[in-house]
Amino acid sequence: MDWLEQELKAALAREDPPADFAGRVMRRAERPVVYQWPRWLAAAAAVVVLAGAGMGYRQYRGEMAKEQVMQAFKIASVKVNRIQTHVLEVAR
Amino acid sequence: MKPFRALVLAGCVAALANAQQFQFNLDHLAAKASETVDISLNGSMLQLGAKFLDPKDPDQDKVKKLIGGLEGVYVKSFEFQKAGEWTPADLEAIRKQLKAPEWSKIVGVKSTAEGETDEIYLRSQNGKITGVAILAAEPKELTVVNIAGPVDLDSLAELGGHYHIPKVDVGKQK
Repeated sequence: MDWLEQELKAALAREDPPADFAGRVMRRAERPVVYQWPRWLAAAAAVVVLAGAGMGYRQYRGEMAKEQVMQAFKIASVKVNRIQTHVLEVAR
Repeated sequence: MKPFRALVLAGCVAALANAQQFQFNLDHLAAKASETVDISLNGSMLQLGAKFLDPKDPDQDKVKKLIGGLEGVYVKSFEFQKAGEWTPADLEAIRKQLKAPEWSKIVGVKSTAEGETDEIYLRSQNGKITGVAILAAEPKELTVVNIAGPVDLDSLAELGGHYHIPKVDVGKQK
């Protein structure tokens, strides 16, 4: 028997499993499988959610600004119009 | 280096500051008012609002055209349950700021019988209109408006007609 055969025999020699190996395997098999999301997918989802929230907030701010613009010009134009009416009344 | 930093900082502050051309200082009236409107729109908010205006709507289309080039619109309006809640001193504090050569009063109407005072001031630089101030006071109402920028008063008055108010053309009637 040359050294290579001895090495192979030693490496492939039958070994008994450690104590409670079968028990541990059974216990692991009984546990429910928890699916783990890939980290990149979680990061991508977070980016999408944040971008959506940002767009929603911008839409909200824009609508608010629009309402304020319309109200401001409504007040201003009504006052200018009323002043014009007064000027006309004085001129008559 | 420090003066340069201070200059840059001052520039940034100036850019961020609102473009309001005179101070209103009317917050003390808010507690007495039954209704308060306080609108403060700087240039960027105006442009943001303009993007959401619908050009198919005649009112919104007119406003959209008016907004172009404006630096800000500031409105304070108070309605009161009873007369005498605002005082002439409130108006005087504003008038003091609207002085020549920057400002010039183009319209001043005072109705003693109805207790109304209406004034329009124009701010001009190098012959160009750069702002408008509107003071409108009634016994139970006080409104102050500052439109900063090159506003077209005729277009602004025209909006009155769009808001279901009879349009009055001063130039065509005698």
